[in-house]
Amino acid sequence: MKTLWGFIRKEFRQTLRDPRMRILLFLAPCVQLTIFGVALSTEAKNIRLSVVGGLSDTTLQEIHRKALASGWFIPARTSSQDPFMQIQNDEADAVMVTPVGGLDRSLGRGTGELQLLINATNVTRAQGIERYFSSIVRSLYEFKPPLSFDVRVLYNPAMRTALFLVPGVMSMLVCLITILLTSMSITREKELGTFETLIAAPVRPEEVILGKTVPFVLLGMSNIPLIVGVAMALFGMPLRGSLWLLLLSAFVFVCCTVGIGLFISTIARTQQQSMMGGFLYLFPSVLLSGMVFPVENMPWVLRVFSYINPLTYFIELLRNIMLKGGDARLIVFNILILSAMALLAITVSWRRFKTTLS
Amino acid sequence: MSAVQVKNLSVQFGDFFAVKDLSFSVEKGEVFGFLGANGAGKTTTIRVLCGLLLPSAGQASVCGLDVLSDAFEVKKKVGYMSQKFTLYDDLTVKENLDFTSALRKMEPEKFREQKEKLLKMIRFKSSEDILVRDLPGGIKQQVSLVAAVLHDPEIVFLDEPTAGVSPAFRQRFWKLIGGLAAEGKTVFVTTHYMDEAEQCGRIALMKSGELIALDSPQELKRNSFPDREPQEVSLEDVFIEQVEGG
Repeated sequence: MKTLWGFIRKEFRQTLRDPRMRILLFLAPCVQLTIFGVALSTEAKNIRLSVVGGLSDTTLQEIHRKALASGWFIPARTSSQDPFMQIQNDEADAVMVTPVGGLDRSLGRGTGELQLLINATNVTRAQGIERYFSSIVRSLYEFKPPLSFDVRVLYNPAMRTALFLVPGVMSMLVCLITILLTSMSITREKELGTFETLIAAPVRPEEVILGKTVPFVLLGMSNIPLIVGVAMALFGMPLRGSLWLLLLSAFVFVCCTVGIGLFISTIARTQQQSMMGGFLYLFPSVLLSGMVFPVENMPWVLRVFSYINPLTYFIELLRNIMLKGGDARLIVFNILILSAMALLAITVSWRRFKTTLS
Repeated sequence: MSAVQVKNLSVQFGDFFAVKDLSFSVEKGEVFGFLGANGAGKTTTIRVLCGLLLPSAGQASVCGLDVLSDAFEVKKKVGYMSQKFTLYDDLTVKENLDFTSALRKMEPEKFREQKEKLLKMIRFKSSEDILVRDLPGGIKQQVSLVAAVLHDPEIVFLDEPTAGVSPAFRQRFWKLIGGLAAEGKTVFVTTHYMDEAEQCGRIALMKSGELIALDSPQELKRNSFPDREPQEVSLEDVFIEQVEGG
């Protein structure tokens, strides 16, 4: 107990005294959360729309006017009359090509066909453009189909991508900070040689492991209110579920990532190696977490990795608790899984940890 | 009972013998000097004796405890000041000593007593709230020594404690070593400075992991140069003759 308390005071002082660590701990989350939250949007905006063949038809005019009024489109400034060249020269993102003889005339014959060229180098953007046009056409012609959907979008009625992505970014930040903090603290001691002095004292491996776990779990947890606060203030993230449940989830997740950081430091010898190890772990873990790409769409080989990835469970927990208010079953299940993973990571590091040199 | 007893000790890293078939013993209260070129196996031997490194063959016991089977108990009885920094640069003197006492699970009363006594011994005059990185090199070494003997060990292992320190500070440091020996502590010290070696009770000369000579400075001089008066011979000559020559 005395040893643990000594470790806690020492690690807190060292971490909070180091300007680099202070930045990593307090400034980086705010900046990154803002950047990611604002930039990581799958909504297409400022789509440059051009019309080739002139706006002689009333229908075409109507479509064009509606498109611009929707706020998604802006008129494109074009120099060429060739619709393909307009996209090729990056003057427009979408080009409407008036059919020969005019749209009104072909509509008068029954069915009209309006060609639409879309730049799909960015697939999500292209899909967005296609969706907007379909909805414009739907609003032009008041079909009365025998069946219609009474759609109510729950939990995120405006379908803001930020509400979906911000929990992911929050989890990623917690993951990154705790792994780097923990693994670099141990490898720094190895580099400086203080590690040798540390294990020259009669300490058991579990004392050192606890001494290197508890302070960083506490430091990581001190980060949670900050990250949640920024997410709520800046992106209007709601917190519909219990704050305590959120903190409990964060706690098991932080234990897990600190355990992974410990594990990295049992392999790495230098701070640089541990930093590389941290990023090497982080990238696949973010990609396979369902933060952006749905886990359900992955081939089964990759899905396996998603299911052994702590980040997957924490993102799910955050989204569920913050947006939906929390489902008892999902929360219990995910927290149990994260606890098991934390236990595993810390046990493995403890087994690998030696109080002798080699 | 000897303070340190080493018998046929070998430490092997792959094909390389860092220490080979080493045998010697150190008596209680002795100032035992360990000399040799870089890579001669001095640090490795010290690490084994501190319970930090497991020997590949042979036996070593410290204070009657076997370093293989009783490493944990050995660590309680020895103090260790390593070649690199023993202290955390980004902590203050006070915080460093606090952490050492927590690591060693010292009673608060004993800690206070020891700290007061040892800081007085090194005549520490700066504030305890000064960061270690802001201390002059010589003072830093002395505070390291304080941290190494804070728990009042029976044996102290000092691995090149005076490397990179000014002559005046080296002299002060050796006075401290003398003080520790006078208290009955065994001091096991490695050094590259011959004037320091001169102050040891006995000296062990190491070369490529093997012990090549072990005696008092006087005897070493006599044995290396039988035809000359010991007063005329410097340890420097002995070292060159034994380690770098023949």
